[in-house]
Amino acid sequence: MMVALPSEIAPAKGLRGAATLSTDDFSFVDAERGLKAYLMALWRLHPILRGAATQPGYPLPRRVSFDGGYVRVPDLQTDSHPDRPGSIYWAALAHVAAHLSHARQRWQTGTLKPLQIALVSLIEDARVEALAIREYPGLHRLWAPHHTAQPGSAATAEILMARLSRALIDPAYRDDDPWVQKGRTMFFDHRLQWEQPAISRDIGGLLGNDLGQMRIQFNAKTYVVEPAYRDDNAGLWDWEDASPQQADESDVPIESFRMVRQENDEQSASSRRRDESGTSAVPARERPVAADAGIPIAHYPEWDYLLGRARPDWTTILEFETPRASTVGLERLLHDYADVEQRIVKLIRSARVARPVRMRRRAEGERLDLEACIRAAIDCRLGLSPDPRVYETSEMRDRDLAVLVLLDISESTKEFVRNTTTTVLSMERAATALLAAALEALGDPFAIHAFCSNGRNEVRYYRIKDFHQPYGALAAERLAGLRGGLSTRMGAALRHARSEIRTQPFHRRLVLIVTDGEPSDVDVPDRKHLVEDARRAVQELGHDGIDVFCVGLDSGGDSYLTRIFGRRNAVQIDQITTLPEKLPAIYLRLTT
Amino acid sequence: MQLEAYLITQEPYYRPIGDEVALFEAAYARRMPMMLKGPTGCGKTRFIEHLAWRLKRPLITVACHEDMTASDLVGRFLLDASGTVWHDGPLTLAVRHGAICYLDEIVEARQDTTVVIHPLTDDRRILPLEKRNEIVRAHADFQLVISYNPGYQSVLKDLKESTKQRFGGIEFRYPDTEIETEIVAHEAGIGRAVAEKLVKIGQRSRNLKGHGLDEGASTRMLIQAGRLIAEGVALGSACEVALVLPITDDADIRGALSQTIAACA
Repeated sequence: MMVALPSEIAPAKGLRGAATLSTDDFSFVDAERGLKAYLMALWRLHPILRGAATQPGYPLPRRVSFDGGYVRVPDLQTDSHPDRPGSIYWAALAHVAAHLSHARQRWQTGTLKPLQIALVSLIEDARVEALAIREYPGLHRLWAPHHTAQPGSAATAEILMARLSRALIDPAYRDDDPWVQKGRTMFFDHRLQWEQPAISRDIGGLLGNDLGQMRIQFNAKTYVVEPAYRDDNAGLWDWEDASPQQADESDVPIESFRMVRQENDEQSASSRRRDESGTSAVPARERPVAADAGIPIAHYPEWDYLLGRARPDWTTILEFETPRASTVGLERLLHDYADVEQRIVKLIRSARVARPVRMRRRAEGERLDLEACIRAAIDCRLGLSPDPRVYETSEMRDRDLAVLVLLDISESTKEFVRNTTTTVLSMERAATALLAAALEALGDPFAIHAFCSNGRNEVRYYRIKDFHQPYGALAAERLAGLRGGLSTRMGAALRHARSEIRTQPFHRRLVLIVTDGEPSDVDVPDRKHLVEDARRAVQELGHDGIDVFCVGLDSGGDSYLTRIFGRRNAVQIDQITTLPEKLPAIYLRLTT
Repeated sequence: MQLEAYLITQEPYYRPIGDEVALFEAAYARRMPMMLKGPTGCGKTRFIEHLAWRLKRPLITVACHEDMTASDLVGRFLLDASGTVWHDGPLTLAVRHGAICYLDEIVEARQDTTVVIHPLTDDRRILPLEKRNEIVRAHADFQLVISYNPGYQSVLKDLKESTKQRFGGIEFRYPDTEIETEIVAHEAGIGRAVAEKLVKIGQRSRNLKGHGLDEGASTRMLIQAGRLIAEGVALGSACEVALVLPITDDADIRGALSQTIAACA
């Protein structure tokens, strides 16, 4: 993921002096993978991390902000320790993780004043950090150096609060201010109740009153949480009834949270993307499948098992442009399969192109094959004529194959997978995306096509990626843009796939079809007809030396899948949620 | 006895996690073929050594690999001055003279190699030596034990169904905190407090399984780190040497591991 980080603008906006881009500049993108692993290792959390981009008209985000499993990380480099670039990101994410792992429901802001909200948040920060340090003592060394407030500095609310923060984490820190001392005493007196979030609210509220009575000014608009590794605390509060003033302050993160919450549905995901970039550079179009823009590209015969012969030019393939859509939803789904992705990478490494294979009993080679030598010597003594093939050699065995992935996107793929909120089609998408990544890494040429049908004159064919195209953003957007609908005329689609792949100059050609139901179409009342036709089509592909393998997602589909593809060339997946894991594995097993 | 060299004379340290010792002894009483499943470095090999010592049987270990042929297990004719001479392979040796034969990481061997164990692992308990035209009946003390790690590679490499179903299985995991601390402290010769830290680090690294690592740090690794600490190395450097660097080449994950160690220490 590449996110434009606002480091160029930061010095001007942050008013932090001479921070400019240096050559050893360290940004969030550099650290992202490591940070994810860090959160996983220590807390078993895997939140979605995003670089927080600037939005025109909004102030630059200066603090990390989180909401549930979603964390936005702005450029913090200007606040970082000069000796240890990047250390602030570890501190910041460890702090968010402390919040998340000692989490509770959000607080209602209710009648709290902005100052009280800020103080409750401050105590909550200290509370979760104290708990985290109890578990991982080393975190103290990570956080403490960022607290640099000094006693005796001017007593504005912001500075007093920074001093209090330090007093709560740094036992060696001495501060004479009575308010800071009071806060510290109250906090440590409650040490046995640190597990209870309510104490943050009590202590914070009291301290807020005190500060109010001291008539110290607090400007909620300019307040920024200190030190810089701490998050903006927007994730702690429910701002439902927020006054305009407060809402103003935390406008940016809150807005993005709201949008994130709706993101399950993809339209809003695409609108969020537009919002985020602030431009309409990537127009997310939502085109219904019914757009009548198909171009007829081929006619194919269809096998009639009753007649015992093919009906010539019976079906028409219409090629449709695949609508493109935002890949955010797809990315989120893939995020759940991060471990699968890792495993696939590993598998690929072992199935890698051109690995050496030991060839024994050769007539010539680099080394003597000991087995063959002994056998030859024995034969000599027995008076038999020995086998002259006594050498062995290593050969690089190349992968020489092309694959076409054919997706069934008929109406039934819109159904939800049992016990989940994802559709069968989403699963197909995720699985295909993972497979595509695997294929790309393997270097096997591949194409991804999809089909559905609406009678024999309208077999729709979509190209997500062709053999000569790389698998990139465009293909992913097309994949995300697939919409389910209509029926499954499998035979015609297979015949077209055949014409697509037969020109590929490879030793082995494979059509991998993913389907979730029996072939059927609106104009065919006889259930057996399209099954027999598909079977015939598979045989035709076989004549050309093209292998067809089917991954069936219909748990009751054994009989017809076996009929069409043969027992060895179809596999049934009962739990569709495992498809993203299984599909690449099946592919590797087929081809290794 | 032919296999003196394979007898284990000193008790190998093994800390039972559950009832695996009793289970294995029962299986041995009936000479049931066993498979030990579990991740690397969790104590499978130590367990079988300990059991061989307990049962006072010789132990013949074969580390399986891709290029292994059936003759590597069974034996082959070699040449000497007067002609050919048959040389028993490790499996034949164990079958003839009554040892426990331990095939380590059996999935690494090709499937067609492993079928030679089939007649040994059912009621027949025989090993046909085709080349020698001989049938070796298993010695009463003979038992076959295999181990494997049902990890990521099981998609590409797996045992044949017909092989699997001949075995009883005992599963090994990394032990619980308490026991693992005891093991690390004992094996490395370090104090409990340090061992506790190492175990915590180990457990956190195991969270990364599937998220950057194929396996987390094994008990064996933690013991190695502990041994360095016993030699006076600081905990951070010891973990760096024994754990972070060997476990992955991925700089990002190494960074995360180092930070994790820093947080735990």
